[in-house]
Amino acid sequence: MTQISSTNESFALARRLYRYRWLIYSLVLRDLKLRYRGSVLGFAWTLINPLIFMGVYTLVFSVFLRAGIKDFPLFLLSGLLPWTWLSNALQQGSGAIVAGRMYVGKTLFPTEALIVVPVVSNLVNFLLSLPVFVVIAVLLHGHLGVALLALPLLIALQCAMTFGLVTVFATLNVFYRDVQQLVAHLLMLGFFLTPIFYAPDSIPASIRPWALANPFATMVIAYRSVLFENSFPGIDAIAYLTLAGLVLLGCGHLIYSRCKDSFGEYL
Amino acid sequence: MTNAIDVSHVSKTFRYVALERTVSLKDALVKRLFVPRDQRRRTVQALKDVSFSVGHGQMLGIVGRNGSGKSTLMRLLAGVFPPNAGTIAIDGTLTPLLSLGAGFHPDLTGYENARVELLVLGFSPKEAEAKLDAIRDFSEIGGFMDAPVRTYSAGMVLRLAFAVAFCVDPDILLLDEVLAVGDELFAQKCLTAIEGFKERGKTIVLVSHSIGFVERWCDVALWLERGEVHMFGEVQSVLRAYAENHARAEFG
Repeated sequence: MTQISSTNESFALARRLYRYRWLIYSLVLRDLKLRYRGSVLGFAWTLINPLIFMGVYTLVFSVFLRAGIKDFPLFLLSGLLPWTWLSNALQQGSGAIVAGRMYVGKTLFPTEALIVVPVVSNLVNFLLSLPVFVVIAVLLHGHLGVALLALPLLIALQCAMTFGLVTVFATLNVFYRDVQQLVAHLLMLGFFLTPIFYAPDSIPASIRPWALANPFATMVIAYRSVLFENSFPGIDAIAYLTLAGLVLLGCGHLIYSRCKDSFGEYL
Repeated sequence: MTNAIDVSHVSKTFRYVALERTVSLKDALVKRLFVPRDQRRRTVQALKDVSFSVGHGQMLGIVGRNGSGKSTLMRLLAGVFPPNAGTIAIDGTLTPLLSLGAGFHPDLTGYENARVELLVLGFSPKEAEAKLDAIRDFSEIGGFMDAPVRTYSAGMVLRLAFAVAFCVDPDILLLDEVLAVGDELFAQKCLTAIEGFKERGKTIVLVSHSIGFVERWCDVALWLERGEVHMFGEVQSVLRAYAENHARAEFG
């Protein structure tokens, strides 16, 4: 016996995501397959982009500019790989509700799934790139060790932050299609303002706290300490990331639940 | 004995933002900041205090003019969105066949769309896979199952949608004005399937503009007028009143 009434339920999202787990699983699989359909190198393309970045940035920053960061290729990759996950998820995700408009408001298809899929499929891509990182780290005599135990926690926190942010952008994009364009530019700015290819200490001390207030800077630094320095991220960093994750999820939930009823009008 | 569908005192209001559809950012911000909230939002009451019930094995036909709330009622029954007030109780599994092809992604193939739909309805990937052959056979669209749905004709979309709904074999089937398209042969096939459905004691709710169709197939009828139940009961009497009202509206 199913009861449909106006009562609002808490944890409705979690329950819906669990109920539609097979749908999400299958859509993620399809998303991954589609990305490499018809290409000879397939998954390798996901790695080629960061590897080209690694090569060029190493050339520019270690050889031309002599920035003097030790083991620059690994230094860069340890921050670039999680950033790539964030960046691809945001770019793909901010247009997700608009792209799935045939499902929204007219069918039983859960709109939330449209937002979850880009986050998860890019997470899978990130996870697939980790073994390659390990191989490169071994070849270049990097420091990998017990700090890797903190990796699942970082990934979980990044999931929360990314999902929250994607929800905000995907929702706003229904009403203002400019958002999708804006996100591309924000990501470009974010890439330069986040210490991905430079060390945080190279920012002048007077403005450093401001420059690093961006939670994604904290995130990249935390990944780097795990993947590059083999040291556990500080408890303050974890606390800050948890806070950022909760705030972003909260913002996403607030905006989404306020707007979802008018999606149909705008799609 | 419980009913298949129990709808009691259901109301549904839609809110919509009374802004131009294509807004510039400046306009949007200005209106958002300076136009008071209640002037921006308007509401439409699509359904008002609707109550009725359908017993197991009954076939209900919903009639009414355009904009009388038929599709809203169907979507409420399907659970696409909740009512603002009142309750809807559904006893059994339910498959909706709402506005035609609404749930199909144009870039996905017939198979992929069917699979997505089955997963949305709650089947596991294994169960969904097992049904795909039957869906292909029922739809009779053969090789087009591997082609993107955007290459389909309206009739083929209908065939696929129907094939999914019937192969799911739900206890309750919702059909929203979907029999209008499609060729004679396939329509016959659908009617045979509907007949078999009824014989097995299953419940069907259908929206149709064809009074003759409702009269021939349905046991009970619901007449909606501006979101309210104008009449509910045995099919003959409801349809007679509806037809008279129509004639009066046209000639009177």
